[in-house]
Amino acid sequence: MKLSARRKLAFAATAAILALGCSHLAQADTPSWCGPKQATLALLDGYGGNSWRQVTTASGKEEALKCPSITKYEYADGQGDTQKSISDIKAMAAKGIDALVVFPDAGPAMLPAITSVYKSGKVIVPYRVEAGGKADTNYNKFIGTDFKNDGVNWANWIKGVLPNGGNLLFLSGPAGNSQGLDELAGMKSVLGPEYKFINPEPFDVTNWDPALTQKVLTAEIAKNSKIDAIVSDFGPSLVGALPLFEKSGRSIPALATSDGNSLGCFWTEHHANNPDFKLFTVSTENDNVRLAVQWAVAVATGGTPPTEEIFKGPVFENSVTGDPHPVQCRPDLPGAIYLSAQLSPEKQAEAVNSK
Amino acid sequence: MNQTADMATALPEARYVFLLPRARSFLTIVASTAALILACLLFAPSSVSWGALSGSLPFAAIIAIVGLGQLLVVQQGGFDLSLAGGVSLAVVISTHFPQGDNSLLLPAVLMAVGCAILAGLANGVLVSLFRLNAIVATIGVNALLYGAVFAVSGGVPKTTTTLLAAIAGGQTAGLPNSVYFALAALAVVSFVLKKSIAGRRFEAIGANPLAARSAGLRVQRHQLLAYVYAQLLYCMAGVLVAGVTREPTAFQGDSLLLPSVAVVVLGGTSLLGGRGFPISTVIAAFFLNQLSQFALAVGVPYSAQTIIQALALGFGIGVYSLRWTVNVVKQTKPILKGGNNEALG
Repeated sequence: MKLSARRKLAFAATAAILALGCSHLAQADTPSWCGPKQATLALLDGYGGNSWRQVTTASGKEEALKCPSITKYEYADGQGDTQKSISDIKAMAAKGIDALVVFPDAGPAMLPAITSVYKSGKVIVPYRVEAGGKADTNYNKFIGTDFKNDGVNWANWIKGVLPNGGNLLFLSGPAGNSQGLDELAGMKSVLGPEYKFINPEPFDVTNWDPALTQKVLTAEIAKNSKIDAIVSDFGPSLVGALPLFEKSGRSIPALATSDGNSLGCFWTEHHANNPDFKLFTVSTENDNVRLAVQWAVAVATGGTPPTEEIFKGPVFENSVTGDPHPVQCRPDLPGAIYLSAQLSPEKQAEAVNSK
Repeated sequence: MNQTADMATALPEARYVFLLPRARSFLTIVASTAALILACLLFAPSSVSWGALSGSLPFAAIIAIVGLGQLLVVQQGGFDLSLAGGVSLAVVISTHFPQGDNSLLLPAVLMAVGCAILAGLANGVLVSLFRLNAIVATIGVNALLYGAVFAVSGGVPKTTTTLLAAIAGGQTAGLPNSVYFALAALAVVSFVLKKSIAGRRFEAIGANPLAARSAGLRVQRHQLLAYVYAQLLYCMAGVLVAGVTREPTAFQGDSLLLPSVAVVVLGGTSLLGGRGFPISTVIAAFFLNQLSQFALAVGVPYSAQTIIQALALGFGIGVYSLRWTVNVVKQTKPILKGGNNEALG
């Protein structure tokens, strides 16, 4: 009995200390971008129908809720419809939401709506896709993504695994998309003429569609007997196409791309039979939204804005050095989640499986 | 009496055998395909290498199957825009429902078939019973189907089951399995259309619904069923897409709509309805797929790739239309004397 009473006492004391500690921690954890003024925040997507967007939306929500001054968080999906995206923005502003974080998929078509919301005194932060216009005239801040940095990261790794140069194949999304062009510029700033891009200038068009990627890669594999490395800005779309190398009796070559659980698991299953299959990934950049949310919250609540204005996607996996991470695979979770994101894999799975 | 009747029908057939649309469209598409293969051998030999063919044939097979579905609807003077939704729904049901579990694949495929029948019935009822314009009705049903696609998947891709990948993406006797599926679909469609009573009625109704009705045929029922058959073929194509691409998106059907119409036209079937040419349609699917592989293998910029494809398609259709007009003049003259048989031309 005595012992148990002592235990109880000890337990109560520990709990009290922990609770006190936690409350202190919670106070200390309020980020500097979170000011004292109360505000409401909305995240507006131009198109929300894929797993990347769902993980990104969940990440944005998690980031916003780190700030206790945010009293309400709302979300709207433009469903790929420019008209709906525009009316979503206006409706959120009319509902009295104080801060809007916008993914302007439709580009410059969204600028008039963004500008009118800014002029009405709301805080509005577009991110990732440029809508044109200027900060403090059309919106508070545009949080861009440094795609050139991804190109530089890939190129540096390629230099390491292919020191004497080689044939590179670069695949990107729709024809002429600025992301692919920036990445190419980044790679070319590092790689010399001994590295030859064997795809048509500037990149093989895949629309980030796995079926088209498969067709394009089929043609390239048949045409080029020597492909030393593949660079792609959407790694998971390659998973269906890479076995084509094995079918034609060749090893899958080195691959520099962006991360995805399905890709990590594919590497785990196939690298033993493919001696040249080395994998390097940069983050798929779901956390771009966090920087945008921090800016919007800082301006709306009177906090200190972050120092960065452009999101630089960090390097994620490197199968050669294991730095910063070896290749990761969670076979128990969906393929369409991104282990590079700050949001926990379980929460991502929940976001992806919610529908 | 019977003998003379047979003679009368046999004679013109023998006389116009080489002018019959079947032979004409068949020869046109075979000649175009042969010319394309020659061009491939000369300018882009890698595109006809075995490795490239085994990688691209599954996609040709999928285009062939959706083309056959579209063919049946076009034969009835209709047009099926719900193809995109139908294919995408089959893709998401066969990947999302099993969640990687092979034992759930069969129920998932059956569920996809069930949805296809419902979608086909919806299209068919709207078009044949309520006399809605086929384009309007099928756009509406397509929107419904995409609603179902989102309900099932939330727009998120899911990795396909290993069993389906092995069945649809594997090879048997050196040929991709999907090619066998396309050949089986072709065999069934050809046989039923050309050799069964129901099939002959189906074609007759497509050629002239009014005449068919006065002859006592059940026009509405056949028109309605055309949409159901088409959806079943789209469903088959969707399940194959799910197996061939390891992680298919939820919108995989979108890129198949245009090719499906293109192969029907290239195969020689009139968009106004009437006789259908399944074999030519399947060859046209190979032609179209090989054309894009050719453009890719030549290694020209993307803009030039699209131009090459558009020019070749325009050329193919142009050549065919030219011959068609000339022959119609020749063929209809004697027939018109005999009676009002315009529809047969």
